[in-house]
Amino acid sequence: MGARNRHEITRVDAFPLREPISGRAYTLVRIRTKSGLTGHGECSVVSGADLEHARQVLIGRAATSYVGSVVGLPMHPAVITAMLDIIGQACAAPLYRVLGGPTRNKIRVMTSLDGSESAELEASLSSGLKAGFRAFRVRTPATGARIRGQAYVRSVRARLQALRPPAGDNVDFVLDADGRLSPGDAASLAADLEDFHLLWFDEPCPLSDLPRVRRIAETTVMPLGFGRSVNQPHTFQDLLREGILDVARPDLLRESAVDIRRIAALAETYYVAVAPHHEGGPVATATAIHLAASLPNFFIQHIPLPSSEADQSMRGELLSHPVEISSDGFAALISGPGLGIAVNERALEKYKDTES
Amino acid sequence: MRRRQFLSQTLLGGALAPHLGASDVCRCMSPGWQANVTAEDPLANVASGLKITNLKVFGVSLSLQSDRPYVFVKLETNQGVIGWGEATLEGKAGAVLACVEDFREFLIGYDPMPVEHIWQSMYVHSFYRAGPVIGSAISGIDQALWDIRGKVLGMPVYELLGGPLDTRGVRGYYHAQAETREELLKLRETAVRDGVSCFKAGLPQYYEWIERRAKIKRALESMQLLREGLGPDIDIAVDFHAKTSPSVASILVKEVEPLNLLFIEEPCPPENVMAMARISRRSTTPIATGERLIASYGVRELVEMGAVDILQTDINHVGGITGLWKVASLAGISDVSMAPHACEGPIGGVATLHVDAAIPNFLIQEVCSGAVPDEKDRIWEEWLGFPAMRMVNGWFPLPEKPGLGLELSEDSLTRFPFAGTRPMARVFHEDGSVAEW
Repeated sequence: MGARNRHEITRVDAFPLREPISGRAYTLVRIRTKSGLTGHGECSVVSGADLEHARQVLIGRAATSYVGSVVGLPMHPAVITAMLDIIGQACAAPLYRVLGGPTRNKIRVMTSLDGSESAELEASLSSGLKAGFRAFRVRTPATGARIRGQAYVRSVRARLQALRPPAGDNVDFVLDADGRLSPGDAASLAADLEDFHLLWFDEPCPLSDLPRVRRIAETTVMPLGFGRSVNQPHTFQDLLREGILDVARPDLLRESAVDIRRIAALAETYYVAVAPHHEGGPVATATAIHLAASLPNFFIQHIPLPSSEADQSMRGELLSHPVEISSDGFAALISGPGLGIAVNERALEKYKDTES
Repeated sequence: MRRRQFLSQTLLGGALAPHLGASDVCRCMSPGWQANVTAEDPLANVASGLKITNLKVFGVSLSLQSDRPYVFVKLETNQGVIGWGEATLEGKAGAVLACVEDFREFLIGYDPMPVEHIWQSMYVHSFYRAGPVIGSAISGIDQALWDIRGKVLGMPVYELLGGPLDTRGVRGYYHAQAETREELLKLRETAVRDGVSCFKAGLPQYYEWIERRAKIKRALESMQLLREGLGPDIDIAVDFHAKTSPSVASILVKEVEPLNLLFIEEPCPPENVMAMARISRRSTTPIATGERLIASYGVRELVEMGAVDILQTDINHVGGITGLWKVASLAGISDVSMAPHACEGPIGGVATLHVDAAIPNFLIQEVCSGAVPDEKDRIWEEWLGFPAMRMVNGWFPLPEKPGLGLELSEDSLTRFPFAGTRPMARVFHEDGSVAEW
């Protein structure tokens, strides 16, 4: 093997985790090498068969050889991150430096507002502002009706209008429909909301029929974000070709950091920004920060901010150094080698997911 | 001397390939070394008798800091007729100086009259199709060839092109160089006094590809202020300078529709025509672009896709008079207007007026100067003997002498020696990432 495989993979383990209150589940993958290095990565829920398959692919391989290490979903993003973590540690460089960065000195971040009543939303806004965020995702009100009409448009306007006074002038919002509207309803809502100058309208509708989705982009100038409903990277090419995409939002638990770099390289040729979708745990947050620091066309990173103290303390216990957010809506780069995180193994046991 | 060198290269080529006949040449995958074998003047039997005897190229820096030292090209002929052209390429002076020299063998000993043929040879035989460096070098040489042609044929270039379409000359605009309401009101007075009918202003700030509400509002307010300050009767163009993405630009150009701007320039960068089309099809604000595009090939897709209302190719980059006229021609067929970019020196400036005066789809001519003449304008006048690129009642007067209609002495340039290549602006966003300006 010699120099080509100094960092031979000897062990692959997976630690299922679940936040006690939100129920948000994710898996931490740990890879160890003969050279004594340990890398971590995060993905969604992993089965015993998934783990066994990954071990067959990875054990005996060089941890540096991440391009050819294809384990498939769900473990792929975690495996690639863990291998990058090992490379970073092997060359004593933060992950963003391994990836050719930094392209910036701080990372713009956003988080989500929880709740459906205005009092809940405003309380969530207040704690987000205190945590240093200056951009927030707001969900469209849930409704069972199919054709929503003016009452619905007004309810969305009211929700956004109510948030402006407590937010002040220099806070921005992303409206998120979770893919629940029809393209036609999404277009009329987007047209009506243009004057709000939202950062963008996220997942306004399902991506089932692109010509109809294109109508939103043709009839309004509201920027549109898609990504979490994209199952194959080539769908991003379809969206770009159709002129539908303003913000590419590949999901950090579906695409690896390297895959997202490839999608970003494609989006760059359309002057389209990237804001990776992230609803996972703190290791994915660290991955996202490094990834953002390596992309030229990064715009903003969503970071889950659990509202319950129990969930917050779980995230705090998993990693010894949480991501730091300054008061102006930016997170600092992470400076340690690799991911630059220290995983607290005792917390892995404490928060083990026993449901899946 | 040059001729002897040419002959010796022919012999060398022959010595290296004694067995090759014409059919062998066709099968060869890499004929580069044979190029000299076939470089006899193929038009020798229809030559005018005039021959190019010398090529000179000058780097001229108005200041040590200038990012755009002028690159002037001078061609001399065996009958004493000389031609001037301009190949200035902002931020890349050294590269274009060298590239002009690289075309020496295309010129020395050849007839300067068949300008289209020489243009084709410089473009096609460069193999790598013209980017800005090759395009600018071709532009400077092409202008000098047209200057010679006009002088030999005894006509201003615009007459050779079938103009002028308007005896007043060429309608133009200055840069506003005013930001506050007071400055704009004062500029409006100056415009009314001098008969200037149009100004162009830049868009403040730098923009990420998605933008925050506060920055979008400020951009919209700045354009509103231009209209308020300059009033309803002066045309206003706003140069986005490709600072905005299609996502951000689409919002801005749609919301400023009530201001009835003459055009929005470069609402996004030039590499992706579909992205430009996304902007233009969502707004009625006229869209202009093209200052960074080379040759008629460079604008074809914009016109074909209906992505643009006005083309702004630059006579110093697009391929000179030949290149600009061709862009105007294909644009005109699709009713696309021309508003050529001009932000370099006075030779290219004067050359572009000749094309403007002869194209029916001409809209307006830029000059990167303010309404009040400055030191640069004084130097240009000193060089050329007339106030080059200064308007009279809102129109650039046309030169009357043959060729480009300007005279320039090498001595007058010696006061401004080449001070080296200086980069264009390098700007960054608040997070340190690279920004367009």
